[in-house]
Amino acid sequence: MSQLSLKRLEKSFNEARIIKGIDLEVADGEFVVFVGPSGCGKSTLLRMIAGLEDVTAGDIEIAGKVVNDLPPVQRGIAMVFQSYALYPHMSVYENIAFPLRVEKLPQAEVDKRVGAAAKVLQLESRLQHRPGQLSGGQRQRVAIGRAIVRQPKIFLFDEPLSNLDAALRSEMRIELMELHKRLGSTMIYVTHDQIEAMTMADKIVVLNAGEISQVGSPLELYHKPDNLFVAGFIGSPKMNFINGKVRSADGAKVTIDLGSLGTLVLPRTSTAVAGQDVTVGIRPEHMQLGNGEFTLAITPNIVEHLGIHTIAYSTLPGGEAFIGLFEGNPTIEDGKALDMGFDIADVHLFDAKGLAVY
Amino acid sequence: MSFHDAKATLPAGANPLAATASSVAELSKPKVKAKARPAKAMIDRYHWYEVAALYAGIAVFLFFVLSPFIEGFLVSLKPLAQLFSTPYSFIPKTWSFDAYVNMWTSVPALGMHIFNSFFISSVVTLIVVAIVVPAAYSFARFNFGGQALLLGMFLAVNMFSGAVLLIPLFRLMRSLGLLNTYFAMIVPGAAFLIPSSIWLLRTYMMRIPRELDEAAWVDGASRLYTLRRVILPLAMPGIVVVAIMTFIGAYAQQFIFALTFNSKTEFMPLPVGLFAFFGKQEVIWNELMAASFVGILPVMIVIIFLQRYLVAGLTAGAVKQ
Repeated sequence: MSQLSLKRLEKSFNEARIIKGIDLEVADGEFVVFVGPSGCGKSTLLRMIAGLEDVTAGDIEIAGKVVNDLPPVQRGIAMVFQSYALYPHMSVYENIAFPLRVEKLPQAEVDKRVGAAAKVLQLESRLQHRPGQLSGGQRQRVAIGRAIVRQPKIFLFDEPLSNLDAALRSEMRIELMELHKRLGSTMIYVTHDQIEAMTMADKIVVLNAGEISQVGSPLELYHKPDNLFVAGFIGSPKMNFINGKVRSADGAKVTIDLGSLGTLVLPRTSTAVAGQDVTVGIRPEHMQLGNGEFTLAITPNIVEHLGIHTIAYSTLPGGEAFIGLFEGNPTIEDGKALDMGFDIADVHLFDAKGLAVY
Repeated sequence: MSFHDAKATLPAGANPLAATASSVAELSKPKVKAKARPAKAMIDRYHWYEVAALYAGIAVFLFFVLSPFIEGFLVSLKPLAQLFSTPYSFIPKTWSFDAYVNMWTSVPALGMHIFNSFFISSVVTLIVVAIVVPAAYSFARFNFGGQALLLGMFLAVNMFSGAVLLIPLFRLMRSLGLLNTYFAMIVPGAAFLIPSSIWLLRTYMMRIPRELDEAAWVDGASRLYTLRRVILPLAMPGIVVVAIMTFIGAYAQQFIFALTFNSKTEFMPLPVGLFAFFGKQEVIWNELMAASFVGILPVMIVIIFLQRYLVAGLTAGAVKQ
């Protein structure tokens, strides 16, 4: 049985529809990441699950019970806020103990639970400090500690790492994953950072304009994006898109006219795309120097040398931006034409509506 | 490599001072300079004449503000005869604290007046704080119908001075039989001070991050629990400002209410009680001034006491801005 399920969930603020009918099942112990560009409704969705926003239509079920009208504490959730939301006038101990104080638990029990949380989060030496004396990472850990002590069924994280600097972020990412392993509880995590989504999630929910674009494991989304939006959102640098027109589709292969770039033949069984304007997608990391099964002549205008990778940026004759990512340090110079190719198997094809064609 | 390491590597017998004398001089020079002028950001550095000009400006301003007080204090030290001498001398020729002693006998109720002033202002402050804190919290955090209208009306009330409403208030007090009571001097005073305080504290509370309320709500706290355990401690500097402003405001405005609604000596606050120094023939100016200064004392003590709670930056570390 699923731990959390959303059924045709909708949310409107006055006239604006923010969440447009979302169906989702989350299994017990799963790490689910909501990802999407800002304004896609992912934070609103999380706040609805938390009980901070009202439900306009549809149902939220936790452990088989509709919780639409229950306050957060009765839903069995705990939330970690983007801004930490620590109580600055209380010590770390009292911050973590706050939910227990609300419950009026005996002092011995509070001591035990706070001690256990502090141990898990390595905050034992910081318990008597104020949040103002802590570093960003420690503050985040205090906020997580406050969520842990309640022993909730579901943890909700609202972009918890976005206020940390890059080095600390990857450190905390690993800590969070370890925490998930240790506690084994269901976690729902909102982020706009697709790297966080890819690295942490059991299941990624890609949201776009209040609707689910695709749900799947990180690798599913990477290898088999359902639509243009997911294809462009997952992966860094972004997938390259080339506009083309289908000349013929005979049920075994599709022949696409890419204008001055040539003609591309892909093995696809769909015949519906015949005559359509389509988009061909190829990831930058699937480009190789020299000839491939299909070869493009490219003149990079900017080249980035990252040591491990070299990234070449260029513009195609049709006006589309095109990025190539290569291992190591090949000799690429900006302004100098070169050939790069890719394998047919790595190509994604999207029809006129932006849906993937197989 | 540090200076000490360099010395240690020199062969025995060699004079390390000679070898390093010049470098020591070079090193120590900027150090001495840094000590002479404490490290300050460029933007905070001034030339001596700029500092002098700043202090001169402050002195002029302070003199302008304080000169009535200075003259008042000097008057309280002079014997009464000297006040009417020509040419008038600002500096007392002979001075004493006699007025501070004699005033208690020439106006026996003076102590009562000072107590009344303090009592009325304190009660007004307590009432205002008790009402303003929950009101400001609800205006800062809840959305309810008529919120903007109510706030606008509070602002409008503030635009009436109490004096305009004295006659209706007097009739009200008379028909309720409340003339010549503390109530008549306390309640209208509190009512006039509440609206502006709600505005002030509401703004202060709006600056406390809403996430703190939400976090407390998610953790199971009720709105009142959140107010008590989270918002009140954080709003303390704002509440203290409201308390100080209310106390001063109540102290200043009690004159007009006491003059109109009260004719009993035992309830009179100091500003009205001072009229007792106005005799039939003459005004005992020096004792009047002395009484005024002694009357201000409780206010100053209260303010000094409350000021300690005006801690800035209490919300540091609550949220990452």
